Amino acid sequence: MNAVEPGAPGEPVRADGPGRPDDGWRRLHPATPLLRGGVVLVAIAVWAAVQLRDVWVTILLGDVLGEVGRVPEDPAARWVFSNVGLALLIVLVVIIGILVIGWLSWRLHSYRVTADVVEEREGIIWRKHRRARLDRIQGVNVERPLLARIFGAARVEVSVAGENANIRLYALGSATANALREELLAAASSARAARATEGGTDPGDSVDAGRPGVISQRLQELTSPELDSRLSTPDSLVRMDLGRLLGSTALSLALPILMGAAVIVVPVLLTGQWGVVFLVVPGVIGFGAYAIRRVTRSLRYTIAGTEHGIRVGFGLLSTTNETLPAGRIHAIEVTQPLLWRPFGWWSVRINRASRSTRDGAAGQAATTILPVGDTDDVVRVIELIVPGLDLRGALGGASAVGLDPRAPEYVTSPPRARVFRWWSWRRNGYHLTDEAVLLRKGSVWRTLTIVPFARVQSVALSSGPIARATRLRRVSVHTVMGPIVPSLGAIDVADAERLAREAESRTLVAMASQR
Amino acid sequence: MTEPNPVPADGEWHGVAPSYLWVDLAGQALTLVVSAGATVIAPLASGVAWLWALPAAFVVIFGTSMLLTPRRVRAIGYRLREDDLVFRRGIMWHRQVAVPYGRMQLVDLTQGPIARMLGLAELRFVTAAAATAVTIPGLPRDEAATLRDRLVALAESRRAGL
Repeated sequence: MNAVEPGAPGEPVRADGPGRPDDGWRRLHPATPLLRGGVVLVAIAVWAAVQLRDVWVTILLGDVLGEVGRVPEDPAARWVFSNVGLALLIVLVVIIGILVIGWLSWRLHSYRVTADVVEEREGIIWRKHRRARLDRIQGVNVERPLLARIFGAARVEVSVAGENANIRLYALGSATANALREELLAAASSARAARATEGGTDPGDSVDAGRPGVISQRLQELTSPELDSRLSTPDSLVRMDLGRLLGSTALSLALPILMGAAVIVVPVLLTGQWGVVFLVVPGVIGFGAYAIRRVTRSLRYTIAGTEHGIRVGFGLLSTTNETLPAGRIHAIEVTQPLLWRPFGWWSVRINRASRSTRDGAAGQAATTILPVGDTDDVVRVIELIVPGLDLRGALGGASAVGLDPRAPEYVTSPPRARVFRWWSWRRNGYHLTDEAVLLRKGSVWRTLTIVPFARVQSVALSSGPIARATRLRRVSVHTVMGPIVPSLGAIDVADAERLAREAESRTLVAMASQR
Repeated sequence: MTEPNPVPADGEWHGVAPSYLWVDLAGQALTLVVSAGATVIAPLASGVAWLWALPAAFVVIFGTSMLLTPRRVRAIGYRLREDDLVFRRGIMWHRQVAVPYGRMQLVDLTQGPIARMLGLAELRFVTAAAATAVTIPGLPRDEAATLRDRLVALAESRRAGL
């Protein structure tokens, strides 16, 4: 089915349309139709070949086998058999049709980056023209599925604030993808900082897939975790070791597995019917697949600060590299599943303004920024995300992150809140810094929520009848929608009012410094 | 708050128009009629006495709520501070929200049929966070329009991204 691929494999990738004025529009990788739809077509072709095997065998080998004229029983096969010429014509038309559609869709799918916007247009019958402002870019994700890696291609997703507003370019050549990412991030950070139009290098110039050494280049790309070894930051802040990854995966699955086992073992003991055991087979397969996926996705996890933002990369076979420009993270939550506690492991999630369609690390939602790490890792990641939040200096080590339950710097619930926070009232509290508000919650399932004031949308102080009777209040810090809903309840009325007041005024200060 | 164009920027608390009471009451009465009407069919058709409990419960709940409505309407208030708007409402379930002007993405002015008859409108503020959920009901039409224009101008001058 390589006939679907328009343009011979050796042909150099043309960044601009042939013979067109250079208005900045660029095309995607020539193998795009194959990568996007080719797999399905191959599958259909294989299916058709298998289904009509009798027909092919009879047509091709009929003379040899002496079976000329034997009419198959299957009606579809019989029709094909009696109309060989017509059937071949239909197959030919379909193949040509697919070729033309693939070529057309490739021809008509283009993108460009101007001084203020990135634009994409595609579609044969229904044309789509999408335009995103550079200063609204929330992140650039470069993903390389295994099939695309073989072709030296990558998928680029430009996250833009809003639901389903992202620009997805699949596929681009690896070098083009890399250059585009650099260009977008440079433009996005400068557009945001000063709205200065920085020309940037034309990615089209650096693209030359036809130069000698393609194979060695492919091999190098396949083996290197980053798209471009020149750009890879050697020192990731977090080293993901295999033992911790396996251990954390096993422990996070331990509780559901134990519960599932209990559900199975009890009936077995009661009835003596061992056949029940087979009911768990699908569940075991599901858990196994999840565990394997989580481990392979997180194996080469890296997180590092680059000049254009925080870069998170992961994946063993299909790799993903996402860069989040500074200030695109609206809330951070550090959580600890119960069974991780003896090991001191935590995981970190974030709220962001855009929805990526791609999965994040560990096959979890794209909001998981650190699948598992110890206290030091967590502190390093948070200090990277909220620059200036001096967790170690001001508060010192583990207590800084609120990971130490006795950290005294927190304003916590009064003893009368014991009724509402049975075990966690001593821990349930907040801490204010100039940059962010830290909300510490939970005794069994510990969490710490951090919201940078620069991203707070509004602040609410609320109470119900019971809370009013006990002079307790809830403070909610509103951020963009995401898995984290920053809110702290059961706080003394005076403390809560102070928290709300301080959060309001520090938000205004942070906003003023952004302008 | 019935005099024209008294858009305040003084940090004082401002209430909503007293006539908003009727808008709120009408909404509750409509809900009561619909819910009680739907639940009254079963006892009428079957003749089972205890099924009357449901429509009766609706009447009691909405009746109490409607009696408390004047207090609830008086409790709604907003305040324009230098850099943010503070909105509060609720007696039993009290809520107070502060929205910086620079975070407002858009300001909606809407009018329901009863509010229109009384010359009232409501302003809804949209930020990047869905949880903000601030809607000031029961503003005189002119005041609402002036307030909206003023807030949009303030939001523009204090814009600070997401």
